[in-house]
Amino acid sequence: MNKFITAYYNDEEDLLKGIKMMKSNGVEPLDVLTPFPVHGLDKALGLKRSRLTRVAFVGGVVGGLVGFFFQAWVFTKAYPLNFGGKPFFAVPSFMPVTFEMTVLFAAFAMVIAFFVHNKLGPGAKPVIHDERVTDDRFLLVFDIWEKDEKEVSNIQMALTNAGAQGIQLKA
Amino acid sequence: MYVSPIREPLIRGNKNYSQVTKDILSPMAGKPSKYWYMGIALAGAAALMGAWASYETVFNGIGTWGLNKTIGWAWDITNFVWWVGIGHAGTFISAILLLFRQKWRTSINRSAEAMTLIAIACAGFFPLIHMGRLLLGFFIFPYPNTRDLWVNFNSPLLWDVFAISTYFAVSLIFWYVGLIPDIGTVRDKATNKIRKAIYGFLSFGWTGSARHWSRHETISLVLAGLAAPLVLSVHTIVSFDFATSVIPGWHTTIFPPYFVSGAIFSGFAMVLTLLIVARKALHLEDYITVNHIESMNKIIILTGSIVGIAYLTEFFMAWYSGVEYETYAFFNRAFGPYAWAYWIMMTCNVITPQLFWFKKIRTSLVATFIISIFVNIGMWFERFVIVVTSLHRDYLPSSWTMYKPTLVEVGLYVGTLGLFFTLFLLFIRVFPVIAIAEVKSVLKSSGENQKHAHHE
Amino acid sequence: MQGHKVFNLKPSNYSAMDNQSFTLSKKLVTISMVMVAIGIVSLAYGYFAGLGPGRIAANILLNSFYFLGIALVGLFFVAVHAIAESGWQVSVQRIGEAMSSFIPVAGILLLLLFGLGGMSALYEWTHEEHLDAILLKKVAYLNVPFFMIRFVIYFAGWILLAHLIKKTSRKLDQHGDMFYFNRLRMLSAIFIVFYAITSVTSSWDWLMSIDAHWFSTLYGWYVFSSMLASGIAVLIIILIALKNMGYMTHVNPEHVHDLGKYLFGFSIFWAYLWFSQYMLIWYANIPEETIYFYTRLKYFDNIFFLNLILNLVVPLFILMTRNSKRMFSVLLPVSIIVFIGHWIDMYQIIMPGVVGKEAGIGLLEIGLTIGFIGLFSLVIFYSLSKAPLVPKNHPFYKESIKYHTNY
Repeated sequence: MNKFITAYYNDEEDLLKGIKMMKSNGVEPLDVLTPFPVHGLDKALGLKRSRLTRVAFVGGVVGGLVGFFFQAWVFTKAYPLNFGGKPFFAVPSFMPVTFEMTVLFAAFAMVIAFFVHNKLGPGAKPVIHDERVTDDRFLLVFDIWEKDEKEVSNIQMALTNAGAQGIQLKA
Repeated sequence: MYVSPIREPLIRGNKNYSQVTKDILSPMAGKPSKYWYMGIALAGAAALMGAWASYETVFNGIGTWGLNKTIGWAWDITNFVWWVGIGHAGTFISAILLLFRQKWRTSINRSAEAMTLIAIACAGFFPLIHMGRLLLGFFIFPYPNTRDLWVNFNSPLLWDVFAISTYFAVSLIFWYVGLIPDIGTVRDKATNKIRKAIYGFLSFGWTGSARHWSRHETISLVLAGLAAPLVLSVHTIVSFDFATSVIPGWHTTIFPPYFVSGAIFSGFAMVLTLLIVARKALHLEDYITVNHIESMNKIIILTGSIVGIAYLTEFFMAWYSGVEYETYAFFNRAFGPYAWAYWIMMTCNVITPQLFWFKKIRTSLVATFIISIFVNIGMWFERFVIVVTSLHRDYLPSSWTMYKPTLVEVGLYVGTLGLFFTLFLLFIRVFPVIAIAEVKSVLKSSGENQKHAHHE
Repeated sequence: MQGHKVFNLKPSNYSAMDNQSFTLSKKLVTISMVMVAIGIVSLAYGYFAGLGPGRIAANILLNSFYFLGIALVGLFFVAVHAIAESGWQVSVQRIGEAMSSFIPVAGILLLLLFGLGGMSALYEWTHEEHLDAILLKKVAYLNVPFFMIRFVIYFAGWILLAHLIKKTSRKLDQHGDMFYFNRLRMLSAIFIVFYAITSVTSSWDWLMSIDAHWFSTLYGWYVFSSMLASGIAVLIIILIALKNMGYMTHVNPEHVHDLGKYLFGFSIFWAYLWFSQYMLIWYANIPEETIYFYTRLKYFDNIFFLNLILNLVVPLFILMTRNSKRMFSVLLPVSIIVFIGHWIDMYQIIMPGVVGKEAGIGLLEIGLTIGFIGLFSLVIFYSLSKAPLVPKNHPFYKESIKYHTNY
């Protein structure tokens, strides 16, 4: 079991100010839980831009190639059949399915990567620090598992100074 | 984010975050109202009629339908296209309006997307039932088999299989990914243990972590970027079903964009029909405001006018082309035996939406509701006109004939309407009808009380 | 109507540097004049080298129409954002307004072309004594008097609406008054309705009737999508040029990003319509329709595929990432490529019908296009110098300046 300190704000602007103040005191939160995506929070926490877009790109390329070459293989090698005098290698005819496969693979690759990367999924058992996080609270979480008492009280001091409310120590 | 003071607020009343949660979750709480029971009884009865009609079709065969030697496609394909079209608004709102950063979409995207999924399910029912042997429906997918046969990749009907199933799958994950944070809210607000466990499972372990939100925003945006061309592609491919043929009135190059526009047009009409009732019944007037209705009405004018221009272009080009079959097909549409259907289509799709140029009508709920029903009817007749009038008199006058639906066909259509409303009513009880987190994210910039606080 | 409410947005708070107006430098005028001279010289070359009236008329039509389309898209850009009530574009709105000042110039050039014998060189249907059975059916639409009446209607409407929209936009800037804001919206709506119809019919008149037997219902929208992509490309090029001259300091990467997204999106939209038209004609394989692509694939095959590479493949793959849409060093070359690409598109629309397989890209084509670029930039930059570059009192100005998004 981990040990945490949690504290919350009631407003996202106070949260951003609070994080800034604590960072200047050298205290970094483990995580920040918010009811909605807060504009500017990524920057305040120094989060990098997600690379999931690359997964989507690779997925799309794979899907498109699979879609196109599968059709080409079926029509030129596996079972060439004359449909309405069209050429066997009928590129315009292959485009719709190629496009759909591109989108399908890109979307699914990215969403699956999103779930795996975030460790989200059916049956995931998260630690719920505060049930009002999904309602109206902006919660800061600090990991204190390997911290001594002095550091813990430092964090608590910093939180009080930064105007956080409901500071709790959870074992 | 700064928002100009002259913009109308998107969320009315004195709200804070907790109030938003409470308001939006309220339709799910407690026992359903008696209107809900009445609604679901009515919709269920309609669905039962569909069950009877399906039984007739499967056990007695397609002969129970009114099809004949030249009109091999009529009622079922009309309904298929109509439902697919309705299924375009949800993803349009979520994807294209997200890319264009129209904030008003946050209040309506969730229910519109749910409607999309249900409408696609209703649409999918028609190709499936028209195969007659439902159990062999999987033949439409390319899979390795002992007969060494593959599907025909040259056929627009097969492209449809890919387009519709991709559209359904991608819309589903798009909808669900957006829903996960809100399911987290439902989970944390649940007092009952079983309810908590179920929503806990469905929430995929959502905690609202900043990292998760950051990635969530990224994938929502990329999904929107993928879904936007996907929406266009689906009705484009549906239009290819007709336009790749050489039937007069079907083979015309304007079909793809014109079908897409018509689909969004009919989809918004259905969203309006549903939401005007739902906002009242669920007491969500502060979230789905007259402002939202007005914005949707503007899209109705836009897409309706595009459709109108396409009708006129087709008509002009039928004459300009100098092809006598083409000219006759359009003359026959407007003045032949199905002229009544044509003029219903023209009135409902081209004339009535133009009333929305008047601000009074655009902001009137009653007028909007009536016009939205007109558009639904008009768009149904559009497909009927395209399908039936082109087929009933083609190149060979000796084969000219007429078409009339049978009770079984009507039953199938009524059945899908029943299915649609049943599933929508269930959706209202099971999931939040408005995207809670998204509304909260615009509350500060576009909420009524917040705007006052900032600018006075 | 909210009446004559004046807003108090105190523009001076935001940036002192925004108070800029563009001055037309001597250097810019000289360069443009030299380009125009090149154009005139190459036209003279075309005449004396005996390239034939068809090729000369086709080149004038190509460039006049191409730059007319770009000018109209400038106005469309302003109008469509006015009715959508979006805010970000306010920072670059003046460029769109300036682009529209080329409309009357293009009108005069086309009038000269059609008036001075260009019509018989361009349009088969004007040879009334030689009409075949199919063209005889079309006489009610394709005849010279009606053609000229439509011409006058198009230009009268465009010029009038462009003038009113520009005037109202400047009034709005001077007074910051809701009255002008609402009027701008109304005028924009009128323009969009008018343009929606006339952009289609004018492309039938001037371009599709070159191949008088052929028809395609999608044609007007296809041409419109081509205009959209090239218009946005030119808007970006002008913006970057102004930035390089030290203006438009208020435009930040977010605005550039949005323009980049437009260029990306409209390029895909163009390709979508291209595919829809090509695929349906290819698939149905009806002779009177396929003839159009048959000639293009047989005698113009390089141009045919170049069209797709420049206008789809390049923007699709280069502008896919976020960063490339935000960097001028990427966006500028792509915009130039798209600008050239849609010129090529117009070329493959016009040349096969007028000139046939003898067509080519030589001194005349390149020189005349340079001349048009010079003329266009002269008109645009002159127009830009006539009004402040930044519409400071626009109600959405602050929204536009403070514009920031996560994506």
